[in-house]
Amino acid sequence: MDREKEKLEQLLDLLAMRSLMPLSHTEELEMNHLLDEFPEYTPDYFESTAAIADASLYVHDINNLSSMPDSVKSKILGKFNSERKESVALKIFKNFFNAPRMAWALTCMLAIGTSISMIEFRNYESNYRNLPVKKAVLEFASDDLIEYNWFAQTDEFCDCSGSVIWSDDGQRGFITLAGLPMNDPTQNQYQIWIVDPNMHANPVDGGVFDIITADAPTIIPINPKLPIDRAKGFAITLEQPGGVVISEQPLILTAPKERPESSYGITQTTI
Amino acid sequence: MGSSVKNLDLSKKKERSVNKTVVILDLIAKNHPGSFEMLIEKYGNLVWSIGKKFLGNQSDLEDAVQEVMIAIWKSADKFDPNKASEITFISMIARRRFIDYLRKITKHKSEDSMDDDNNNIHLYKESLLNEETDLALVKSAIEELDTDDQELLNLSVYQGYSHSEISEILNIPLGTVKTRIRRNLMKLKDTFATNKKQSTVIQFKNG
Repeated sequence: MDREKEKLEQLLDLLAMRSLMPLSHTEELEMNHLLDEFPEYTPDYFESTAAIADASLYVHDINNLSSMPDSVKSKILGKFNSERKESVALKIFKNFFNAPRMAWALTCMLAIGTSISMIEFRNYESNYRNLPVKKAVLEFASDDLIEYNWFAQTDEFCDCSGSVIWSDDGQRGFITLAGLPMNDPTQNQYQIWIVDPNMHANPVDGGVFDIITADAPTIIPINPKLPIDRAKGFAITLEQPGGVVISEQPLILTAPKERPESSYGITQTTI
Repeated sequence: MGSSVKNLDLSKKKERSVNKTVVILDLIAKNHPGSFEMLIEKYGNLVWSIGKKFLGNQSDLEDAVQEVMIAIWKSADKFDPNKASEITFISMIARRRFIDYLRKITKHKSEDSMDDDNNNIHLYKESLLNEETDLALVKSAIEELDTDDQELLNLSVYQGYSHSEISEILNIPLGTVKTRIRRNLMKLKDTFATNKKQSTVIQFKNG
């Protein structure tokens, strides 16, 4: 059996299992890998078949059907009524915007407020002064925060410093950097990479950024282009404007120093 | 020109036929008073029965069933009768939610049996059967499977045993269980799709 067919059968086995029972973490990761390779399949490939086969059992054989206790029905109705109240409140809020005069008035107020906020916080993302606040916000929202220091891979960048702060649960984080040379955005841009060897064969694009001043340290948010399971490492390369999907450029900075073990045997010098 | 008029006519007939069978989710989507109570009356037992298979613990089952019914209410506007019947849509939401819930609590199916109360079940059974032609189609698809495969389907889909439990019960390797279940579902999916296509043609022909 050729390798491609074997992989497809493995994927179908996992999709069938998923429609019948919870997958283990490893099985889920494997399924996601295989779905990347066979994008024509979706996780719910067998769900409707299993659902209809299941429903048919209860409809065709009365002995399999159990009555929902009245106490449970009452609980469901109670929950429904409280959820509906919330939903009605939301609807009133939406209707408010349907009244043109009100909507315009509120929109103008919001626009003014937003403009003031933008002036006040236009440098929030990149301003190093906000580091403690940003870190505190991320810490508050996630229990799994990790922090690694950057290490230069060549002597040329040995004056660079900073760290990566990341949360797998929150799927977000940011990097702090100082000492990285300014770039010309029309010629090249720095690109962040996230190494997640359990879920992705290749490092995941974490977004591009520019260094517009060499005088002060800066903060750059990480924007992963794919979901991250467990980030084991990070890297920065210098790429063409807009970035690339798979890098062939040498690593500038890495965090941690040594590249984490990968099950895919990726080379160490480039991404 | 004549052909396109005919096609239009057929699609209207199909729409009428679909609309005739779909009631509750449409009503819910339109915020019709009492529609949620109707949902509980018609599908409450089905959701409860599916949940019992996945969750052995009464308290977990009650919590999960509440979540499922609310999820169905919230998803009613996503229901498309041209893609699936109402019962399939509801079963899909229920099964996915129960499986997710099961994973969340990381508990395995227990053999605890809970008190069954089969009062008034005839009514529900009859109302479901009358409205859902999909179920008749899937029944014939299941009957086309051989006896061993039907047993495997019974253990996995209906009784909710895991693959490794089935492997122990039937004393066959785990890999074989996986492959056979996958093949059965695939066969069912294909047969069901073919039967549905034929059934739609017959419905069109009969007007």
